[in-house]
Amino acid sequence: MDGAAATPAAAPLKVAPPPNLRQTQKEATRNRVIEAAKELFDTQGYQGTTIREIAAHAGVSVGSVFTTFASKYEVLSQVMQDRLDGLYGELDRVMPHLRGSTVDRLRTMFAIHFAFEVRHKRLFLAYIASAFDWTLPSSSIPIGRNARLQEIISDCLRKGMAEGDVDAGVDPDEIKDLLMAAYVWVYRLAAWHDADAKAMTEVMDRQIALIAAGFAPKG
Amino acid sequence: MMHITQIQAADETSVKAPTRRALAKQQTRAKVLAAARRLFSEQGYEGATIRDIASAAGMSTGAVFANFTDKSDLFREIMLTDMGALAEAMSEASAQGNGPQDGLLRVFVAGYRFYQTQLPLARAAFSVGWSPVDGPALRSAPQVQSMLGVITDLLRKGEESGELTAGAASELRAQMLFDAYLSNFDQAIFQGWTMDALEARANDQIAILLAGARKS
Repeated sequence: MDGAAATPAAAPLKVAPPPNLRQTQKEATRNRVIEAAKELFDTQGYQGTTIREIAAHAGVSVGSVFTTFASKYEVLSQVMQDRLDGLYGELDRVMPHLRGSTVDRLRTMFAIHFAFEVRHKRLFLAYIASAFDWTLPSSSIPIGRNARLQEIISDCLRKGMAEGDVDAGVDPDEIKDLLMAAYVWVYRLAAWHDADAKAMTEVMDRQIALIAAGFAPKG
Repeated sequence: MMHITQIQAADETSVKAPTRRALAKQQTRAKVLAAARRLFSEQGYEGATIRDIASAAGMSTGAVFANFTDKSDLFREIMLTDMGALAEAMSEASAQGNGPQDGLLRVFVAGYRFYQTQLPLARAAFSVGWSPVDGPALRSAPQVQSMLGVITDLLRKGEESGELTAGAASELRAQMLFDAYLSNFDQAIFQGWTMDALEARANDQIAILLAGARKS
């Protein structure tokens, strides 16, 4: 509490200072690198794209890419974060207005997810695979442990408990993890059998129904 | 003549007495595999190079390539050997189970025990498992399919004994149980969960996934 109260006092609101030229340049480089990386990752895949190519495509030097990002994975991480921010912004707007049962709301949420992610399937797969890479900084957030998605699922389940269509005796964390495992499987399908958003949603719907049998109120 | 007869006899029983060259080749392979296992554990799949592996095994990269086509071939061999042994351990564990819930829990726990002391290798396997080529190859490997088979058999036995209802969802349920089993490696690898914690979580997950097949 103290910390929260102290922050505004320590940093009183000021009129934004004129942007420092160096900062502006750095920001511009960063944006150009991310835009270039987005394009190259989508067309050539993550593994098939080098930092050198990203730099050339962005029209900056290799050195300046490395002054902004520690590694290629960090570029990917930032690209993904930008995209996911868009998705979660959309979900934050939509979720409170969803009607129907917990199962219906979960299905809709995942359907929105797949419709969004399927456009960048290869990138998501690279991102998931990288999650198990050694050399990652501990601060990187692998998709499988995506906190925003997990929060949305947990909120959905808690709402269900309050409304009585999720058994109050279950541990929402466990249900959430099962849903995440099911979600990961759907990604494998997408990767291996080139499933589209519709096929992904259908498989996810069946899995949600099976899990729901385990969280439905008894009696 | 006698020599030829011996070889023919050996061929028929398929216990060919290894020649010295075959023996040397086997030893080379074993040395490479041991070095590779260590380096994959220490540096991950991407981090370990054939050059490093060769030097750790005390041989030239050429000698490694004489035995394995590439790094993924080498890694696959290690994975499949492990998974073959694990599938057997799971099958034994399932035989001791009392009903589907208990049987499945024993199978899950057998898996967590197996990798308990080699989590970095499990982590490397998960990474490879997401590759577009090696992923499906790994999942459809007979060793992995027989793990899935152990789960399917437990469900079928539960149906035969009347504890579970038979239905169209059986296949999906088996796959979801397997994926729930796999998903807990996240907890083990990244969050350092203990065996007890993994077992408790697995027990609840199994109960949830079986609930739809329980007769009410």
